Amino acid sequence: MRRGTFVRWGVPIAAAAVIGAAIGAGPVIAAVSGEPALPERSAAQLLADAVAATNKEGGAAPMSGTVQQTSSLGLPALPSSGSASPLSLLSGSHEVKVWFGAADKLRVAMPTQLNETNLILNGGEGWYWDSATNTATKLTIKKGDTHTPATPVPQPSDLTPQQVAERVLAHADEHTAVRVINNAEVAGRPVYQLVLSPKEEGSLVQEVRIALDGETYVPLQVQVYAKGSAEPAFQLGFTQVTFTPPAAENFTFTPPPGAKVEEKTIGLEDMRGKQAEQHAEHAERVASEAKVVGDGWASVAVIPFSLSDLTAAATGTPDASATPGGPGEHFGEGADPQALLDSVLKSATPVSGTWGSGKLIKTKLVTALLTDDGRLLVGAVTPEEITKAAGTK
Amino acid sequence: MSTAESATSTATRRTPGLVPVTETMRTTERTEEPATDHPAAGPSGPSAPSGRRSAARATWAFWRLLGSELGLTFRRPRNLVMLAVLAAVPVVIGVTLRLVGGSDDGMGGIIQAVAGNSLMLTFVSFSFLVLLLMPVAISVVAGDSIAGEAGGGTLRYLLAAPAGRTRLLAVKYLNAVVYAYAVTAVVALSALLTGLVLFPAGPVTLLSGTTIPVLDGLVRIAITVGYVGAGMAALAAIALALSTFTEVSIGAIAGTMVLVIVCQVLRAIPELGSITPYLLPTKFTNFDAVLRSPIDTGALADGLLTFGAYILLFGTIAWARFSGKDITS
Amino acid sequence: MTAVMQEAGAPFGAAPPSGDAIVTEGLTKRFRGGQVAVDALDLAVPRGSVFGFLGPNGSGKTTTIRMLLGLVAPTAGEYAVLGLPQAEALPKVGALVEGPAFYPYLSGTANLMRFDAADPYAVRGTVRRRVEEALERVGLSAAAGKRYRNYSLGMRQRLAIAAALLGPRELLILDEPTNGLDPQGTREVRALVKEIAADGTTVFVSSHLLAEVEQMCTHAAIMRAGRLVAQGTIASLNGGLVTRIRVETPDEPGAARVLGSLGLAEVRIEGGQVLAELGGHAPEQINAALVGEGVAVRGLAVVRPSLEDVFVGLTGEGFDVDG
Repeated sequence: MRRGTFVRWGVPIAAAAVIGAAIGAGPVIAAVSGEPALPERSAAQLLADAVAATNKEGGAAPMSGTVQQTSSLGLPALPSSGSASPLSLLSGSHEVKVWFGAADKLRVAMPTQLNETNLILNGGEGWYWDSATNTATKLTIKKGDTHTPATPVPQPSDLTPQQVAERVLAHADEHTAVRVINNAEVAGRPVYQLVLSPKEEGSLVQEVRIALDGETYVPLQVQVYAKGSAEPAFQLGFTQVTFTPPAAENFTFTPPPGAKVEEKTIGLEDMRGKQAEQHAEHAERVASEAKVVGDGWASVAVIPFSLSDLTAAATGTPDASATPGGPGEHFGEGADPQALLDSVLKSATPVSGTWGSGKLIKTKLVTALLTDDGRLLVGAVTPEEITKAAGTK
Repeated sequence: MSTAESATSTATRRTPGLVPVTETMRTTERTEEPATDHPAAGPSGPSAPSGRRSAARATWAFWRLLGSELGLTFRRPRNLVMLAVLAAVPVVIGVTLRLVGGSDDGMGGIIQAVAGNSLMLTFVSFSFLVLLLMPVAISVVAGDSIAGEAGGGTLRYLLAAPAGRTRLLAVKYLNAVVYAYAVTAVVALSALLTGLVLFPAGPVTLLSGTTIPVLDGLVRIAITVGYVGAGMAALAAIALALSTFTEVSIGAIAGTMVLVIVCQVLRAIPELGSITPYLLPTKFTNFDAVLRSPIDTGALADGLLTFGAYILLFGTIAWARFSGKDITS
Repeated sequence: MTAVMQEAGAPFGAAPPSGDAIVTEGLTKRFRGGQVAVDALDLAVPRGSVFGFLGPNGSGKTTTIRMLLGLVAPTAGEYAVLGLPQAEALPKVGALVEGPAFYPYLSGTANLMRFDAADPYAVRGTVRRRVEEALERVGLSAAAGKRYRNYSLGMRQRLAIAAALLGPRELLILDEPTNGLDPQGTREVRALVKEIAADGTTVFVSSHLLAEVEQMCTHAAIMRAGRLVAQGTIASLNGGLVTRIRVETPDEPGAARVLGSLGLAEVRIEGGQVLAELGGHAPEQINAALVGEGVAVRGLAVVRPSLEDVFVGLTGEGFDVDG
């Protein structure tokens, strides 16, 4: 009887172990897989291969998959804004589906509970569909400007790893130690991981890892690790990916009957409409007055700023840091920047020093200092570094 | 009595129920006799292992017990009332939407879509009902399954019949699964009929903005019924497991409901976002994957795997508990 | 069937295992609280017997029955029912355990059909006939369509017995079958048990009523506080004690003298009565001798030992009916 009891309870325990193994297996195997699945490469070789692969005729390979973005920046709890808002990307975990047919064929869908927003680009035409408002917006993209790049379409840019990877790669210079890991796995595919570690002491960034598909060299994942944290503070990558051309109907869109249909023409200059243009102008003015203190990873942006400007600039702030360009503005509908600011400012600590006084906002990756003399200092650096930068007038 | 006698008798009785060789031979010989009212008793013994025939009989007996179980479940007024209430909810939702349908301010897209297409009412009804009402109905039936029999004392007679513990548990679980699918199907049918009466039929607009023919829409409703039913079956496994731990059925039912509500609360806390994907109720609403174009099979498969894991875990817990439980009620 | 006489604790083995309907060896149940309900029980119930399982309430009778039916797992010891593995034995066993329990919202017929469905060996085709027969046997045919909820206590008890009789049984285990029955019902149950036993079915009846067991049973076992006190045929259980003769007379010394002269042992006077061991003497001769000696006899009775006397003799305690 007693022995039988142990045998019987062994069954659910075994079941739990199997389930636990199934849940844990993915990440664990990816993390500890000993056998390098790919031949060794130096960083330079890898980048060259990657560039070669991207410059191939026809551009990047057709693909589709699910991209997941996770942030744990250590921001104070944000007021709940629309779930599809870009502000919501600053915390928690988000998923989008991506179908990429060719340079001018793209569909990005953001599924939420019983709702879905879609961006479909096909040639010069595009549709933005929001099931929550039952609105289809026809986007006509102006062509012909001489300085328009060959692909005038915003890439899956803000939501696929490509552009993020490019941006981080641009930083790779004498400030960065670069190495390559060849035994990692992303979305079940063997990948090369390009690991960039800042050399500057004052940086909050431990390292940035960019995973390139071992076969196609498409960036599959970007991870940013903050110092003193085992989990990435920011992660954007495919959780599932296939390199087969997606079905054609993904790139065609006919507004459903009964839907509101709006039209918008988008040039590169006024991509984000009139209102956004004003913001852009404002941002441009701010940019011209801004300056950068420090080098490399420890650089701090110093921007003239005042609290009264805050509300006006608020809409621009998240775009400047995370989602420049693209139809981000649409995703942002319904967000309340004022509420966000209030909650952020509430968590700010007052600081003072020889440079003056101000309010310090600290997250895992970014530190911001709002000085009382009207400057905003932002950088991926420690508070000490930023107050040092505040002293440099 | 001699020592030798004692030794043999002890040897043959070492294991309870061990059949002495002579006895087995005797009963085997008897199997040639024609089947009586009750082949187990009387001349022909149940130990007649005439291969396929006894396996077939065991299968029939299993279905007979399941039939008896279903008869109890679907004749019990309480369970029928729950079905009726659940069938009424889509009607109420439909009528409400029809009445306020004119003003479109403040309404979500999906609700607006109902006004445009009758089939959408099914999905809206599910999105409300899977949160609480359907789980209530399923946990009442599954939570009562073992605990109710134990509380009423009928469990001892069933097991002495002998129903067999594993067999009875399997029948009880299948019964709960059938009820779960009955609930799901009743909601879908009620919503479909209400929708057809109150709203125009025609091509269905999906969340992705694409439009599909009515027939395709019906197929997607069928997939939804399959998926939601599986989710409810997973919940039934939890209720069944709790049911084996108590002789008070209300305890098992309330326990299951508390778990569901706690999960819903946990889901609402953004800081706990990392655990929500593992909570069962999170997956109930994944049926909206059928409303996307193409159908988000990944989300459905993910949900079904989760259901399978819950069924496996709680099914084995229920078995481990029930097969070793002392029935003292 | 050989009658088995055994004293408590004696190893069994007088009859081969296949000859016994129920055999237990050191059967022990200790509940989680540490309370020992059944302690090293060695029971042998011969086939064809009507076996009384006697003991005050709480002496472990029901727990023993639950173990035999596989409802409760023994802590130690072994048992065999009908010499078969449990799953094969139980279909041949009809049981009434600790009172009736049915679905209150079902009729008597529907309740019996339900339990018949639980038996994997029952044949579906004959269930209607078998249910009707069982109900008729316990006299419930008239109330067959009534909901169980509306049954009286006696009807419920009868329905439980009917459930035990659904199929042809080799062994019937009846736990307190006359509980809640009126005298008429009690008589009917006794008659039913005799009738069933006459068909060759072994009947195992537990009871806390000495008289019931004495009247119904061929064999008995006596339990006290989880332990077996004695078991054997009713005759052998009584046989250990002597039969006495009791003479009611105003002339006690005279009667005592006559009894002594006849050679009866243990003559003693108890207020208006003279008692003596009967031995091999015929009561009528004793009466004639008393009258012949001029002793006025108001009454004369042969006092046979009862199971209660057996119980008192073995345990030194009274048989507490209310347990």
